[in-house]
Amino acid sequence: MKTDNKIKSPRRETASRREFFKMTGLGAAIVGAAAAGAGAQPASAASPARDKDAGYRETAHVKRYYELAKY
Amino acid sequence: MELGTSEPVVAEEDRLRADCYALLARLLAAPPTGELIELVRSIRSAPGTPLGRAFGNLATTWRQATPSSLKDEYSVLFIGVTHGELIPYLSYYLTGFLHEKPLADLRGDMQRLGIGRRADASDPEDHIAALCEMMAGLITGAFGMPAPLAEQRRFFDRHIGCWAPRFFENLQAAKAASFYMPVGAIGDAFMNVETEAFAMAA
Repeated sequence: MKTDNKIKSPRRETASRREFFKMTGLGAAIVGAAAAGAGAQPASAASPARDKDAGYRETAHVKRYYELAKY
Repeated sequence: MELGTSEPVVAEEDRLRADCYALLARLLAAPPTGELIELVRSIRSAPGTPLGRAFGNLATTWRQATPSSLKDEYSVLFIGVTHGELIPYLSYYLTGFLHEKPLADLRGDMQRLGIGRRADASDPEDHIAALCEMMAGLITGAFGMPAPLAEQRRFFDRHIGCWAPRFFENLQAAKAASFYMPVGAIGDAFMNVETEAFAMAA
């Protein structure tokens, strides 16, 4: 039910958060730049590791690299 | 409709936050590509807020820049001969050294949150651009499901909020910064917005 007490307060919270972000100028500012982040290829070191094995291997490899690099 | 659907739904304001993080990531990860320069030049913003003004300044400033002048400035700021004027890493800002415990803590959280590392990445993961990209991904669900606000807040507090505001201030004040000064101003204003918004949700 929409009027369930349990969800009342999170909703108010969500609404005030939304209002807050509206006032910051974030929306107006980035409309033109929205494609910026979203579409383009990752900029840097992070990538999804949905394949946990691949992610972990990479991490372990990198960990070892830095162990070596630290003398 | 109130029953949850299986598709992750990202609220409008969260989409905008993610875009802002993603744009900062692209601006700070490497010298800009021609495509990024065009995109920045096309930004239109309302000057009524610090963030809006900063975006406006960025677009105006970059309309006067050439790709090679942007590349040169990026290089002096972030690459240098041994290092640039700024050293934009979490570990460095918190400890004075690279590859210290803050990086290890970050890697722990990355593993827990299913964030991997690109095979071709040469920088440590605690570079400001990487952290912005991770925040964007946590918000939109690039690493699985969108992270709940509490998880976003935890990641922000532990890895970004504790140093990025200082970094963005330093970027604004850097000797070599002219085209990148507005990037510092955007980051500075956006960090304020994020900090305040997380506090509201507490």
